[in-house]
Amino acid sequence: MVNRKLVKFLSFRYIILATILIVLAGSLVLLPKYEQQEGISPEELLSLAISPERYITTDELADRIINQDPSLLLIDVRDESDFKKYSLPNAFNIPLKNILNADSESYLNQDAFDVILFSNDNFHSDQAWLLCNRLNYKNLRVLKGGISNWFNTIINPKKPTENMASNAFELYTFRKAASIYFGVAYPQKIIKKPVIKKYVTKTPTAPTEVQKKVIPKKKKKKMPIEGGC
Amino acid sequence: MGPLIPNELISFEWSSIIAIIIGIFFGFILEASGFSSSRKLAGVFYGYDFAVLKVFFTAAIVSLIGLLYMDYLGYMDMSSLYVHPTYLWGAIIGGAIMGIGFVAGGFCPGTSLSAVAIGKIDAIVNVIGIMVGVFIFSELYPLFEPIYNGYFEGNITLVDSLGVNQYWFVFILTVVAIVMFAATDMIRKRVKKVFY
Amino acid sequence: MKEKKQNKHLYWNPYFGGFLLGILIIFTFYVTGRGLGASGAMKSSVVTLVDAAAHEHAESHSYYSKFVQDDESPMNTWLVFETLGVLIGAFISGALSGRIGWRVQHSPKITRRRRLIFAFSGGILFGIGAQIARGCTSGAALSGMAVLSTGGFITMLAIFGTAYLFAYFFRKNWI
Repeated sequence: MVNRKLVKFLSFRYIILATILIVLAGSLVLLPKYEQQEGISPEELLSLAISPERYITTDELADRIINQDPSLLLIDVRDESDFKKYSLPNAFNIPLKNILNADSESYLNQDAFDVILFSNDNFHSDQAWLLCNRLNYKNLRVLKGGISNWFNTIINPKKPTENMASNAFELYTFRKAASIYFGVAYPQKIIKKPVIKKYVTKTPTAPTEVQKKVIPKKKKKKMPIEGGC
Repeated sequence: MGPLIPNELISFEWSSIIAIIIGIFFGFILEASGFSSSRKLAGVFYGYDFAVLKVFFTAAIVSLIGLLYMDYLGYMDMSSLYVHPTYLWGAIIGGAIMGIGFVAGGFCPGTSLSAVAIGKIDAIVNVIGIMVGVFIFSELYPLFEPIYNGYFEGNITLVDSLGVNQYWFVFILTVVAIVMFAATDMIRKRVKKVFY
Repeated sequence: MKEKKQNKHLYWNPYFGGFLLGILIIFTFYVTGRGLGASGAMKSSVVTLVDAAAHEHAESHSYYSKFVQDDESPMNTWLVFETLGVLIGAFISGALSGRIGWRVQHSPKITRRRRLIFAFSGGILFGIGAQIARGCTSGAALSGMAVLSTGGFITMLAIFGTAYLFAYFFRKNWI
């Protein structure tokens, strides 16, 4: 009896196999499609996040702006109202809530520029950095300390006290000069404004050396010359 | 997450041993399916034995469905697999020459190798012929070079070139293959049987 | 009595063989990221032979030189090992079913010599074609189809299409 049942079953074997194949192939079509995780893996993201390379200091940024580094793209991730009050020269405003918009992508996702993200402090710019890295964008850096640090260091640098190391003074002179460039008018230096313009026109002659970290020193050499003129 | 060797989940030194193991299974399947017999292979062109067609298309569909499922479930990244490059006219002309060679010699390289292993003298002669063919091609390479290197379309898949959804394509291919299997069985009943 | 007549050897059900072959292709792709192949090993053997016979020729030749390296033998490739495996596996299968023996298989209507001549010329054509298409039925067509390669599908259609077209001219050899 069992044998006959088996024979009957086996006579349908090809139909059964064909049905299985069609069901398998058909369910491939019908299965819900989900977006497979693309972009950066968590491990890679971590290694990027802990890398010191992802920050740019205010000094370095100031130097690159002064030197009119053409590869610089400044992105302000604060609100529009904050952006209108004050921002860095030539910065674009992409508020954090718009960072995933389609028209933001052309700014953030490219190879030609170093994108510098900044906000009032590190917080929102770090979030923007994380989101953009998740989308696998390259060449992204965060301005360390944001606009508030920018004010504290470049616009309104602290005068070093007498007993500090000499490079602190060098740094101070550089910052002081930079603050003039960025339009802070110190009463005693108003007369010197043309000098600064000259300084600006001079600098494009050596834009390639700009990206080194020895910037403050370099500036220090230049400052006395200018002062001498 | 596969593939294992390119992702260095298995060290590269193992690849030769894995190659031999995969080859053993390949040879076993080919021989046991009857691909060591040239008359069985040639049967597909005369309608007395469709084993080649059945094995070939069953294997293609099973592997396609299986790979797509593994890709879907995340065991393997299908985009990191090696895709045979498409040289349009190279594939057509080369395929046409191989087609004539197939029906004349009754073997293709894989099957003739499995036939060599069981001592078929015609297969040994066929393998020597293939090697002579490779030699002729290599010596006349400048002559063949425009076809060999020309009309390069990249390592493209049908998804790129036809713009079809791969899942739909596999589904349609499956249905077509099953209809074809049924049709070949009917043809086989009408054709005079050949025993070999 | 004629109804009982059947082939000398019984092989696997083709669907079973095809299913196992499909699983093997999945496994191969899963482990190595590439498909099966057969003609590549023959190319390596030819390159090795030419390299041994005339090293300068192989070095300077535009096609051989792609495969000849100073530090490594052209035989040391994945496909050569796989082909060794094919020989072993086919031998095991043949031994298990008692199919081993020196013989020439041909239709009773043709002579042994004619079969060998056709096997040889078919081999030459296959060798040339496999180089032009960069792979044979297993390397290009079967493995290519498994990953939906356009080239694989074109090669497969070209092989079977022309084989059906020319089958009529070779019918005496087979039926």
